[in-house]
Amino acid sequence: MGRPMSDRSRKWIRILFAGPGAVIIAIVVMAGMALWLPRGAAGIDNLVLPLILVPLIWAALFFHACLDQRLARVAGVALVLLVVHGGLVAHKFLDRKPASVEPHP
Amino acid sequence: MIHLPKHETKLMVAVHGWSGILLGLLLYAVVTTGMAAVFAEEIGTWSAGHVSYQSAFERPFADDLRRLSAQTPAKYHEGADLFEMGDHDMGVFFHRHETEPDGELVSRGVYYQLGKDGQVTDRQFGTGEEIFGPRNDTALSSFLVDTHVRLHVPNPWGLLLTGILGLSMLVAAISGLLIHRHLFKDVFTLRRKANPVLFNRDRHSVAGTWSLPFAFILAFTGSFFSFFGTIGVPIVAMAAFGGDVQALNEAVFGTPGKPDPRPVAIGNLDRVATDSIRRAGDVPTFMTIENFGRADAKVTTFHAPTNGGLAPVSLLYDGAKASFIATKPLIGPKPSAGGTLAAIMSPLHFGNFAGLLSKAVWFGLGFAMCYVTFTGLKLWLVRRAAQARSLDWLDRTVTIVGLGLPFALVVCAAAFLIALPLGSTVYWTPTAFLIASTTVIAGGFLWPTSAGFSRLLQLATAGLMIALPPLRLLTGGPGWATALAAGQPIIPALDVAFLLAGGWMIWRVRDSRPHRDSDTLPSLQAAE
Repeated sequence: MGRPMSDRSRKWIRILFAGPGAVIIAIVVMAGMALWLPRGAAGIDNLVLPLILVPLIWAALFFHACLDQRLARVAGVALVLLVVHGGLVAHKFLDRKPASVEPHP
Repeated sequence: MIHLPKHETKLMVAVHGWSGILLGLLLYAVVTTGMAAVFAEEIGTWSAGHVSYQSAFERPFADDLRRLSAQTPAKYHEGADLFEMGDHDMGVFFHRHETEPDGELVSRGVYYQLGKDGQVTDRQFGTGEEIFGPRNDTALSSFLVDTHVRLHVPNPWGLLLTGILGLSMLVAAISGLLIHRHLFKDVFTLRRKANPVLFNRDRHSVAGTWSLPFAFILAFTGSFFSFFGTIGVPIVAMAAFGGDVQALNEAVFGTPGKPDPRPVAIGNLDRVATDSIRRAGDVPTFMTIENFGRADAKVTTFHAPTNGGLAPVSLLYDGAKASFIATKPLIGPKPSAGGTLAAIMSPLHFGNFAGLLSKAVWFGLGFAMCYVTFTGLKLWLVRRAAQARSLDWLDRTVTIVGLGLPFALVVCAAAFLIALPLGSTVYWTPTAFLIASTTVIAGGFLWPTSAGFSRLLQLATAGLMIALPPLRLLTGGPGWATALAAGQPIIPALDVAFLLAGGWMIWRVRDSRPHRDSDTLPSLQAAE
């Protein structure tokens, strides 16, 4: 068992997740959502909904970081969202063929 | 009812207070100008004395457009946008989409403005942003809108700044909801006989609670608009189209169909305009033509929401045949959840879905938001006045911004009216704002008391408001009879609104005089 974290450290970690963390994760989630959301009847839902929802995603992350008493859960939720959506975007880029051999329409 | 534990409630009170105090003054500026900008179109009509009532789309323009297209290089026929400019004149922008060296996507082309006789009154070449700047008859409304949208900070930084302000408003609204232990009781609690701090806290709380849903909607839609083009579109385009913003725009806003580049003369657009007015029940606010002069030309007309709807209406026509194809969602080729949600963001933010009535409600709720922001800042200061005398500078700053901004905006309007006949409003509207702001800032810090200065500012603002209608008439604006006869009741209506608002402010200042010498809370009086 490691030494328990001081209140000061916990406070700064919380600030990190509520501040820059919430901004970065909201942006990554917006990018990743475009790749897994259903396209909908018009084929645009996956493109439009992330743009609309990003302020709410940021607010949810911000208030979760402020209000959840369990810091581990704050970090867990945020990091899972970051890894899943960041991974989706990275996979999309790695999966793309080099530009020189990409067929032109 | 939300019951947070004591520690979390305390934290939310701190978040609510600091989200306001850190960005509250800038937020106040955005909300105040946004409140006025709800009536930007009407203020434009009032200030410039526009008395035409017939829309440019109700007059024949198809032949003029064909003539202009022949004068315009074919490379700019990729798109043509038609809209009303000035006093119901027709603006036409032939353009193509280009990517600047820094990656920014722009529309570049030739802009024509047609007078009511179909003659070209203005011709310019450039990008959309270069061409659609303020003009002599729109300088006042443009100034209001520019202040609201980006605080006159160059893009993208201005939009990012107002987007961050929108997020701070979202935080203030949600935390405001969370700290209400007795939400329904707070909505009606106004202890008139309590001490001034409690009474002012009640007023802040009542105004804030009633306008909470509105604050949430405004903050959400406002931050959506600010981040949409600056961050959202490039990032979603990067994820979905490898960074190709044009491909994203085509997918979301384009009209799908097989390309057919054969040259075919554009159909009769007068017929399109007449048919769209019949189908939508109102004149178009905008008409756009894709692939002008080609067999696959498509015309889309955009109309304000009708029949109690919230989303604007758009109609799609075959450009070459001038025949109706379908009623089209504003965004996307078919109705969809994403398209509908995106389409209602604009009416929800601007409050223009039910004409003047919804605009008036949005204006009133915007006023409540200004009041909540201003009194919130004052309350924050009063609570700390005993511990920190050094916050006097902040108290003065709040007075300077809170009361100085409306004063400077009214000075702006007066300067516009004087400069309009001289053709120099584009220069004098912002210059007058800067002069008034500098004077207020200097006066605010040099005046012996903050309370005394706030009374002076309110009286000066009220006096100027009362002077605006006669000033408008003296500088050649149309009289009430002329405006009413021309079907523009908004001109006398705004005159009356300025007179009433000025009179109300004087009455309020006189009414608050007995309390102003209070030894206990001198700084709070300005919040009234």
